[in-house]
Amino acid sequence: MKHFFKGVAAASAVVSLLASSAIAEGPKRGGTLVTVLGTNVRNLNSAVQSGIVTGYPGAQLFASPLRYDDSWTPQPYLAKSWDVSEDGLTVTLHLVENAKFHDGTPLTSKDVAFSLDVIKANHPFKSMFAPVQSVDTPDDYTAVLNLSQPHPALMLAMSGQLMSIIPQHIYGDVPIEEVKTHPRNNENVVGSGPFKLVEYKSGEHVILERFDDFFIDGRPYLDKIVMRIIPDPAARAIAYENGEVHMGAFEQLPRIINRLKEVDGLNVTPNGYGGIGPLDWLAFNTTKGPLADVRVRKAIAYAVDKNFVLNALMMGTAADSKTGIHPDSPFYNANVEGYDLDLDKAAALLDEAGFPVKDGTRFSLTIDFGWPDVKPQVEYVKAALKKVNIDVEVRASADFPTWAQRMGTMDFDMSWDTVFNWGDPVIGVHRTYDSSNIAKGVWSNTQGYSNARVDELMALAAVENDADKRKALYAEFQAIIADELPVSPIDMVYLKD
Amino acid sequence: MTDEPIQKARSPFIEAWEMFARNRSAVAGLIILVLISLGAVFGPALYPTDPFDMVWAPFSPPGDAGFIFGTDYLGRDLLAMIINGARVSLIIGLAAAVVSIVIGVTIGALAGFYRGIIEEILMRITEFFQVLPTLLFSMVIVALFGASLPMITLAIGIVSWTAVARITRAEFLRIRELEYVMASRASGTKNAKLMFRIILPNALPPIIVQSALMVGSAILFEAGLSFLGLTDPNVVSWGQIIGSNRQYILDASYTVTIPGLAIFVTVLAISLVGDGLNDALNPKLRSR
Repeated sequence: MKHFFKGVAAASAVVSLLASSAIAEGPKRGGTLVTVLGTNVRNLNSAVQSGIVTGYPGAQLFASPLRYDDSWTPQPYLAKSWDVSEDGLTVTLHLVENAKFHDGTPLTSKDVAFSLDVIKANHPFKSMFAPVQSVDTPDDYTAVLNLSQPHPALMLAMSGQLMSIIPQHIYGDVPIEEVKTHPRNNENVVGSGPFKLVEYKSGEHVILERFDDFFIDGRPYLDKIVMRIIPDPAARAIAYENGEVHMGAFEQLPRIINRLKEVDGLNVTPNGYGGIGPLDWLAFNTTKGPLADVRVRKAIAYAVDKNFVLNALMMGTAADSKTGIHPDSPFYNANVEGYDLDLDKAAALLDEAGFPVKDGTRFSLTIDFGWPDVKPQVEYVKAALKKVNIDVEVRASADFPTWAQRMGTMDFDMSWDTVFNWGDPVIGVHRTYDSSNIAKGVWSNTQGYSNARVDELMALAAVENDADKRKALYAEFQAIIADELPVSPIDMVYLKD
Repeated sequence: MTDEPIQKARSPFIEAWEMFARNRSAVAGLIILVLISLGAVFGPALYPTDPFDMVWAPFSPPGDAGFIFGTDYLGRDLLAMIINGARVSLIIGLAAAVVSIVIGVTIGALAGFYRGIIEEILMRITEFFQVLPTLLFSMVIVALFGASLPMITLAIGIVSWTAVARITRAEFLRIRELEYVMASRASGTKNAKLMFRIILPNALPPIIVQSALMVGSAILFEAGLSFLGLTDPNVVSWGQIIGSNRQYILDASYTVTIPGLAIFVTVLAISLVGDGLNDALNPKLRSR
């Protein structure tokens, strides 16, 4: 996965300067929106690059077949309608007929087929379209996706930045695998979305302008969007306070969020974060030492006080999460073991696991962290585990790649980690628990966790088209995860009102 | 010839101390330094709170519930952190100064004594290290080899020996031409003995002054590195307290100002002592 997740790893608040009167009157045509990117963007082509700094401008530059509303229901976008066959093995998209790319060329089903090939070859989220065998294009406005197995996650994967439709006549001049490094990924970008690229200056800004031939009549409302690139959170905060920036997303430092809440005319909201589903957790290497024993992992979960993390460290900007699925997701199962602070229980579990206190300590562990913002959290874990006589040594990583390397090769005992759900569990959740994905780089199954039933449940849920049955499969999955604790979810990074 | 009785030669140490004692601010600096050192040595035994223990509610202001300096963002006792941090800061300061003196004196002495091609090579190396931006260079070393205390000490020593080398070389260049050196050379003294027994002791005064100042700058250096997060997270140092509390400066400014003052007072005391040493060891100021 991508390095630039580092800066945005614990996304949590949208800040916007919206006069409430404007909302009451409904949107008006015209105006320039100034917004902000927290990390430098290196690639504007969201078909080949994951991550929210690419997706933020990417979703304006490129349209996708579907859009999702805030109740997780697919809405028409480039596809005016769609059919899923009885057996779930064919998905037919009926495209709008007036869609054009920014250079005036009509958008056809050929471009959809081409984009899917490019995404499959280049995008890091391999599970999104893995079952898609081929795309038939019987006519210019019909695309038929042939699947090797039912794939309920496909719907979500066809929305937003996950499936950007890019023009074949621009990006088709190199072999599919090389689109990742196409020179037009960050200059002269030709997209299909509501805004076209005016200027991109690395480290400074991305400027977008209204695309007048956009296929939805009267949209977009704005004339221009300026995305300033400001990596320093304190500098961003000042820009919001001064009104230099109208809107921003993915602010994560509790101090700064709480400071912005106090500013007149700024609205701060947690809404919409279920879409990427950021979760903070304590990851355990389940393959070696005391942590291989589930009782030890449970004891640690009992010894770490979530309330302290939520209230003292996150300062009320985060809420509790019990499983590896984000609480905003329709698949979240809240009826699982919760691990409220209980030091006696923790001590009893450690005794039972065969680690009595000797000379004031039971055993030693290390804890890693990948970015400075979460250092207080690992310091807290160290202090908390001392109360149950576990010695914790904090290991500093010189930089993010060093930490990512340690995680990817399972060279750690415990680590603070933030992982995104990315909508459907198949995309962002399975990777953490799948026994065939052990130690495949950072944000894979870095815990070395392996459970045949969990693998089976994930495999079943991945092909289950019935929403209720799928939910039941994920409910059982979450109950096992919460019991075996390959990771101990501490909080969902999410802003409470 | 006079009738005056010949005065007994006074010990150079007593003479130096008298010169030092004349400089009041230097004496004040020395007293502060001794107090801080005593605190660092005996403090943890007298005030046994573990600096990593969460003892009270986070961000309790100084004086709250008997915590003289208050608590930080995890509810750790700031006084315990300052006391334990003193140890680390002073040890790193001293050890880094020793490292840079060993490197600097060796290189300076060899260059100044042998001259010629050896001097050329050693001085070019010194210049190479002099032009490197010191903080960046030490950050690179720590980032590459890990942020453990010995490595941080070594990194600070490696980037700050050049001044010592140049001073040592200058002194050697001056002293090697003096008559008593000529005399012992003529009587067949070996090079090693000439360098370390005859010349070095006479070259020491400016080196001592420089070393004292170096301890202060090494403490600042360590503070800078740990402020940037390049530190062993399992030990407390003053710079690290500032670095990890800096984002709370608007809410709990004491968590940053108290360790900042500790650094300020210590480095000031060391500078004053260095200044006094300079007076004491400078023959031009000596009473005749």
